[in-house]
Amino acid sequence: MAECDAEWELCKENIQPLRQGRTISALHQALCQQQEGNHTALNQQKQAFESELRMYDGDDPLDVWVRYIKWTKQTFPQGGKESNLSVLLERAVMLFTADKRYHNDVRYIELWIEFTEGCSDPMDVFRYMQAQGIGTMQAALYIAWSEEHEKRGNLKVADRVFQDGVKCGAEPVDKLHAFHRALQARVCRQMMSSVTDPQRDEDDDEEEPQRSSLAELKAKGKKKAVVPINRANASAGYARGLQFKQPLGPKHNTRPVIFDENKVPETVPQEPKFEIWTAPPAARAKENEQKPEKWSNVKLPMKSRSGLSVVVPPPKPSFQPFVEEDDQPPAVTPCKINPAVNSVLSARKPCRLEQTPLKMLQERQLLMQTQTQEDGKSREQSMYCRDLVYSGATEFCFEELRAERYRQKHARPADHSTN
Amino acid sequence: MSLFGTNTGFGSAGTGVFGTATTDSHNPMKDVEVTSPPDDSISCLAFSPPTMPGNFLVGGSWANDVRCWEVQDNGQTVPKAQQMHTGPVLDVCWSDDGSKVFTASCDKTAKMWDLNSNQTIQIAQHEGPIKTIHWIKAPNYSCIMTGSWDKTLKFWDTRSPNPMMSLQMPERCYCADVVYPMAVVATAERGLIVYQLENQPSEFRRIDSPLKHQHRCVAIFKDKQSKPTGFALGSIEGRVAIHYINPPNPAKDNFTFKCHRSNGTNTATPQDIYAVNAISFHPVHGTLATVGSDGRFSFWDKDARTKLKTSEQLDQPITACCFNNNGNIFAYASSYDWSKGHEYYNPQKKNYIFLRNAAEELKPRNKK
Repeated sequence: MAECDAEWELCKENIQPLRQGRTISALHQALCQQQEGNHTALNQQKQAFESELRMYDGDDPLDVWVRYIKWTKQTFPQGGKESNLSVLLERAVMLFTADKRYHNDVRYIELWIEFTEGCSDPMDVFRYMQAQGIGTMQAALYIAWSEEHEKRGNLKVADRVFQDGVKCGAEPVDKLHAFHRALQARVCRQMMSSVTDPQRDEDDDEEEPQRSSLAELKAKGKKKAVVPINRANASAGYARGLQFKQPLGPKHNTRPVIFDENKVPETVPQEPKFEIWTAPPAARAKENEQKPEKWSNVKLPMKSRSGLSVVVPPPKPSFQPFVEEDDQPPAVTPCKINPAVNSVLSARKPCRLEQTPLKMLQERQLLMQTQTQEDGKSREQSMYCRDLVYSGATEFCFEELRAERYRQKHARPADHSTN
Repeated sequence: MSLFGTNTGFGSAGTGVFGTATTDSHNPMKDVEVTSPPDDSISCLAFSPPTMPGNFLVGGSWANDVRCWEVQDNGQTVPKAQQMHTGPVLDVCWSDDGSKVFTASCDKTAKMWDLNSNQTIQIAQHEGPIKTIHWIKAPNYSCIMTGSWDKTLKFWDTRSPNPMMSLQMPERCYCADVVYPMAVVATAERGLIVYQLENQPSEFRRIDSPLKHQHRCVAIFKDKQSKPTGFALGSIEGRVAIHYINPPNPAKDNFTFKCHRSNGTNTATPQDIYAVNAISFHPVHGTLATVGSDGRFSFWDKDARTKLKTSEQLDQPITACCFNNNGNIFAYASSYDWSKGHEYYNPQKKNYIFLRNAAEELKPRNKK
C-alpha cells in the first residue's frame, strides 16, 4: 500500500470534498481499489447494502439508507454516475416524505440538504420542505437555506430565514444563533468594504478614461437599430452582494446605508410563505433528459425483400484516421455473421410512464388521497412486489430476493423458526 | 419410490391429492404429473438431446437438488437419480451427447453430473450465484458457459479449474441462451448483449432493450435453415419482444406483444400484469411457448403473429418450461416464483411438473 500513500495527491481535483471531511484510510482504499480495478469487493459490498435495504424489517429503515449513502460517498471520491449517489439520495429523500417520524430527524434533514446541492433550484426544494413540515424544527434547514440565499446575494432574506427559524423554535438554538450572528458579521464587513469602494471607483473613472474593451456594434437597417449591450461593469454592484437601489455612479458624500433589520425591504424576491406544494419540483437538471428523436424525414431507399441487407458504406476518407491505442482489444472479432447492416434508424418511442420523482410522488399522493381510480393514468396493475424489486439504487430480480432470504436464513444457524 | 430419499411426502402433505380425477385447480389442463417432484420451487427444466435414445428430463429446484426422470412413451415418468448442491439450483443443461448434465447453483459453483456413474464434480466457480449454464459445441472447441450475478460470463473447459475465458458484463446476468454460433445474455438494468462463438467467444453487439421493464427470460430462435437468427425476450411486466439480429426491415420485423395479463377486454377494472417466467421454442415448428406468474402457459406463432392457445389458470405461477428434442412433449413446472416476496411463500404447498402432448397444438397457423 506504500504507493497509495500519496495517491490522493495525484488526483486531488477529482476528489469531491465532503463537509465532514474524509477519513484518509477510506480514501486510500477507495483509490487503490479503483486503480487495481478491484470490482469484486466493491460489488459485494454494494450488493450487501442493496440486500439490506430490501430485507430490513426493523424500526429504523432510514438508518440503512444513511449508512449506504455514507459508504458510497467514501468509496467513490469522484462521485459520478457509477456511485449512483444522486439516485440513492433522491430515492431516500422521496421514500420518507410521508413518514412523519423522520420529519425532524437530523439525518433525514441532512439527506435533504445534500439532495438540494444537486438540484437545479434548491430554493424550490427548501420551500417544499417548509410546506411539508420537513425540518422546520431543525436548525440545519435554516442554516442551509440562508446560506443559499447568501450565495445569491439576498442578504436580507437570508437574515429573515434565521428569524423564521428562531420563531419556529428550531433546535439546537445556540447553533442557530451562532450562524445568525456570523451572517450579520459578514454583512457588516461587506458594508464597510463597500463604503470605501465607490470612492475608489470614482477616482479611477476621473483619472483614466475607460477603455472600451469590445467594439461598438454597427447599426443595422434603416432605423439604425443597435443591439443593446450589457457590459460587465454594470453588474459590479450586484457582484459585491448588496442590493443598492441607487447606482454606483459618481455621487459624492453618499451616506452608507445601515442595515436595518426592522425596516421592510423594498425589493422582496418572491417568497410565498406557506404555499401548498403538492409535490417537490423536478430533482435536478438531469443530463440526457431529451429522448432521441428523428433527425430528418429523409429515408434511405431500401431494396426489396430479397433477403439481402442494404449496405450503404460511408465514403472513404482521404486521410488515415487516427487510431487511439486502446487498453481493451476491439470487441468484434472476425465472424461469419454479417455485421454491416445500415438500415434507417427509427425513432425510439418515448416512454409512456416517465418515472420522474415528481410524478412518482404525485402518483403516490393521488392514490393516498383518493382511493379510487377514476381516470387513473395507470390502468394496469403489476402483480409483483415492485417496491422490493426497485428499492435501492439498482433493481433486483425475484431470484435475487429469494436467494438473499435463503442466505440470511442459513447464515443464522440457531434460528429456523420463520420460513 | 424411495429413490429420492426420505423427505418426499408422497401425498402426505400438500393441498392436492395425487392422481385425483376431479378438476383440481392445481392441474386444470389435466396433464400428466411427473412423479416425485421436488420439494421446493422448480427453477429450471431440460430434456435430453436427440443423441440419446428416449426422453430424460432433469429439473433443478430451490431445495438444492437436481432430479432426473425417464419419460416413457406411454407417458409414465420414472425417477432415476438425484444430486445435491449446497445452495438452490438455478439452471441445468445437457451436454450434446447426453451423457452429462451440468448444474448451476446459488452456492457459486457449477457441477458436471455424469449420469452413467452418477458422480458429480465441480467444474466452475464464480464470485456470486451462477444464474445460467449452457453447453457450447463448436467445431474446434467445446465448453460450458456460465453467467453469474458477479457480472461475469465465464467459459470452462471441464477439465481445468480455471476458466478458458472470462468476459466482463455491464451488469448481473439474468438469463441467457445459446444456439451455436450465437449466444444472447440479458442482464440487470435492461442490458442485452449478443455474443458470437466461432473460433472463440467474443462480444458481438450490445443491443438497446426493446422492452421497458426488467428482463426475465430469453430464448433464441432459428430460421428455415436452422441458423440462429434472433431471440425472444420476456420481461417482468407481461411482454415479450421478438428481435431479429439482422432483419431486412427492423422497424417491421421486430415487434413486441403483450402476454400473461388478465381482464383483456374488461376495461372497467385495471389489467393485472404478470411476469413472463420462461420462453421455449418448439424444435420443429418454430412456434413458441411462454409461461408466466399468472399460472398460465401460452403458445404463439411469431411469424403469423398470433396466439395459438392459452391454458387454464393454475393455482400457482409456472416457473419453467421446455420441449423435448422432437417437440412431442411440453413440460412445465408449477411452483412459487417469489413474484410477491416471501409473505406469499407457503413451504407446505406442493410443487408440480406437468407433461403435455405438444405435437398438434404448436403447429403454426399458416403452413408455408
